[in-house]
Amino acid sequence: MESQGMKKITSVWIITILMLFVVSIVLGILMRLNQGGVIQEQTLTFYSNLTTHGLTMIGIWFVAGMMAVNYLMQRYVRTSFAVNLTALIFTVIGVLLLWLSTFAGKFNAAWTFLYPLPFKDFGASSWATTLFLISLAVFGIGWFIWCISLMANILKKYSLAEAFAWQHLRKEHKTDTPPFILITTVTLIGIITCLIAAVIIIVLFFAEMLSQGRFVNDALLMKNLTYFFGHTIANEMLYLGLAVIYELFAEVSGRPKWKTTWYVSLAWNCSLVFILTAFFHHLYMDFVQPEGLQIVGQLASYLASLPAAGVTVFSVFIAVYRTKIKWSLTNVLFFMGIAGWVIGGLGAVIDATITNNVVLHNTLWVPAHFHTYNAMGNVLFSLAFFYWFSTQSLENIRLSTAAKGLLVTLLIGGIGFLLAFYIGGSDSVPRRYSNYPASLKEAKPLALMGASFAIVYLIAILSFFYNISRRCLKILFASA
Amino acid sequence: MFKNIVCFCLAFGACLQLLAQTKVSALDEESNIYHRVFDAPLTESVSGQKGFLSQQYERKPLILALVYTRCTGICSPFLLQLKDDILFNLRDSSFRVVVLSFDPRDSKADMNSLQKRFGLEGNSQWLFATTDSIRSLNTSIGFAPVWDSLRKQYNHEALLVGINSGGYITKKLIGMRSSHDLEKMVTSIHNVFSPSYRLPGSSTLFSCFNYDPKSGRSTPGLGLLFVGLPAGLALLIVILLRLMVRKQTPAVPDK
Ligand code: HEM
Repeated sequence: MESQGMKKITSVWIITILMLFVVSIVLGILMRLNQGGVIQEQTLTFYSNLTTHGLTMIGIWFVAGMMAVNYLMQRYVRTSFAVNLTALIFTVIGVLLLWLSTFAGKFNAAWTFLYPLPFKDFGASSWATTLFLISLAVFGIGWFIWCISLMANILKKYSLAEAFAWQHLRKEHKTDTPPFILITTVTLIGIITCLIAAVIIIVLFFAEMLSQGRFVNDALLMKNLTYFFGHTIANEMLYLGLAVIYELFAEVSGRPKWKTTWYVSLAWNCSLVFILTAFFHHLYMDFVQPEGLQIVGQLASYLASLPAAGVTVFSVFIAVYRTKIKWSLTNVLFFMGIAGWVIGGLGAVIDATITNNVVLHNTLWVPAHFHTYNAMGNVLFSLAFFYWFSTQSLENIRLSTAAKGLLVTLLIGGIGFLLAFYIGGSDSVPRRYSNYPASLKEAKPLALMGASFAIVYLIAILSFFYNISRRCLKILFASA
Repeated sequence: MFKNIVCFCLAFGACLQLLAQTKVSALDEESNIYHRVFDAPLTESVSGQKGFLSQQYERKPLILALVYTRCTGICSPFLLQLKDDILFNLRDSSFRVVVLSFDPRDSKADMNSLQKRFGLEGNSQWLFATTDSIRSLNTSIGFAPVWDSLRKQYNHEALLVGINSGGYITKKLIGMRSSHDLEKMVTSIHNVFSPSYRLPGSSTLFSCFNYDPKSGRSTPGLGLLFVGLPAGLALLIVILLRLMVRKQTPAVPDK
């Protein structure tokens, strides 16, 4: 059962994440306003804001998934409060160091910090790159310990084969693996893998920095490793959200709990393999990468997304189709989030197809699709969990008119914000431009449109922030 | 004890910070790319006519070579190779070559005799010149010759800078390079995309692929191991974890 300590620390996580989320959205809106020509940020400020926004967003929605999974995992195995607290401390220190490197040091190499950008002198302070890498190392250590601890907790109770739900591939089996445990296992292994890739990148960066020119990195190796880490973690954090859905959707809807079947087991086992090789699609433009790996990238991109999406959508569809559902803010957010995840996923698969990538590469199509499955996918999964967590003790939470209004505001804001990216992308407007040249006529108005709708989205998020944080504060200060 | 370890780690980290260099010399060729070149005033060596660099690149894209006449080192072989490549290999008149002295001691006459020595006096594609604003030009192209007062020579790189007709630096080549590299520079000053990749040198230990320029084939390199390593290590960690925790009984019973 969920311990009091775990409830309190989960409350702290939620409040911290929502606060950082609001700041990061404001940075995003400022970027869009700058691209629209309404405000004039210095180029260096734009790029350090881009870096802060990207990495903070990835960081907070990753830990949001982790802490939700950690909280729910107590239903099956005991988890460590101390490790959870350590991860929180490391995350907070990591964010402080990251922000110091970007806001004060003006580190500006974007969240992917692609080699050799961190070594290029665009006006950042000389210490900014080192501090940025240290901040990554701090995140990495905290999260690695967390993943290992959760994995060990699972393996105390389940054998490896059980954790992967392999027994479900046979007709007869004695034990059941809950889908939550299966998805969490698959995801944690993926995260451990990409965190190891991150360690290798950081070591290679430091090796070059400290060798005074005696050791130089191979740009292709660095790019492969960077996307191994970046692409994988960005996808695994979605899977954490899905684990939460598998655990809670049926429960909050008043339906029987979802069970692992052979196809659920097969789909998630496939996802583990394919998600680790899909990152090759980030290297389509790298002519020195052999063609075979490009093809692996395209195939893995399809195969990583289709099985997991297929079984999840199928399960949700079965759960809601022609059945009486107890709709609350929690399951509506889950439902909307799945729609966002699938739509964004389709956008991603379109981009991951080599012939399309020739046109869409590095256009606004890229932020369009990943913002869809993040801002209107994963964020909604986590908001649903936050809401469910903060209202657990309250009976009969129903969809009020105010809640419906809030959802509509979120939808309008989110869709408008994303549409501006999609239209820009299909018009070949490049991504990561601080100012658009006059020749891209539609880029500025689209940026303004994006900023306006993002403000509507922000209003909805502020309302969530207020309501959820208020209840979390109560949990935090409640006596045991 | 714990406090000591933390203090040690912090002190060690601070020392590393002092040692760390965040600007890497191997990236010199990439510095100042797509920056505007300084519009230096030029004095032509033959006619003594005065003008600006912009008047040259606005007419045709430029290749700018930096030399000085008293050089006992790289400048002559460098210029000779450039001349051979352009006159006999490329045979392309879609650009101009400006050979500029970066030594303030060089006069118009010095540059004129250099031009004569290389047999380029009557060649309209080539322009030898001096400037009185070499510092600003050097800063704009990321060129930093260092005066060695003992040898009375400059320590400098053999630098070619490609400049398009908008005055932007599109490519830099350092050292004596093949005509293939020069071709790439010519395409870049005409604003054609030219794929470029830093060639692995002896200090690049972990290349993903080793390219053999003779056969044109790539073979897997040591770096590829690093790409496979994370998955292998993760698997190992999970198996070890299971072996370590197996003996313990479950803390929470089945639901
Ligand atoms: C309404 C909320 C948001 C706004 C206004 C916003 C805005 C932006 C903008 C303007 C960019 C730069 C686009 C370009 O390349 O030109 C960007 C990039 C990015 N955003 Fe967001 N964003 C929002 C939400 C999110 C969320 C929820 C995530 C979650 C992961 C996220 C992650 C990222 C990442 C990873 C980048 C790429 C950064 C880079 O290129 O280094 N954003 N965002």
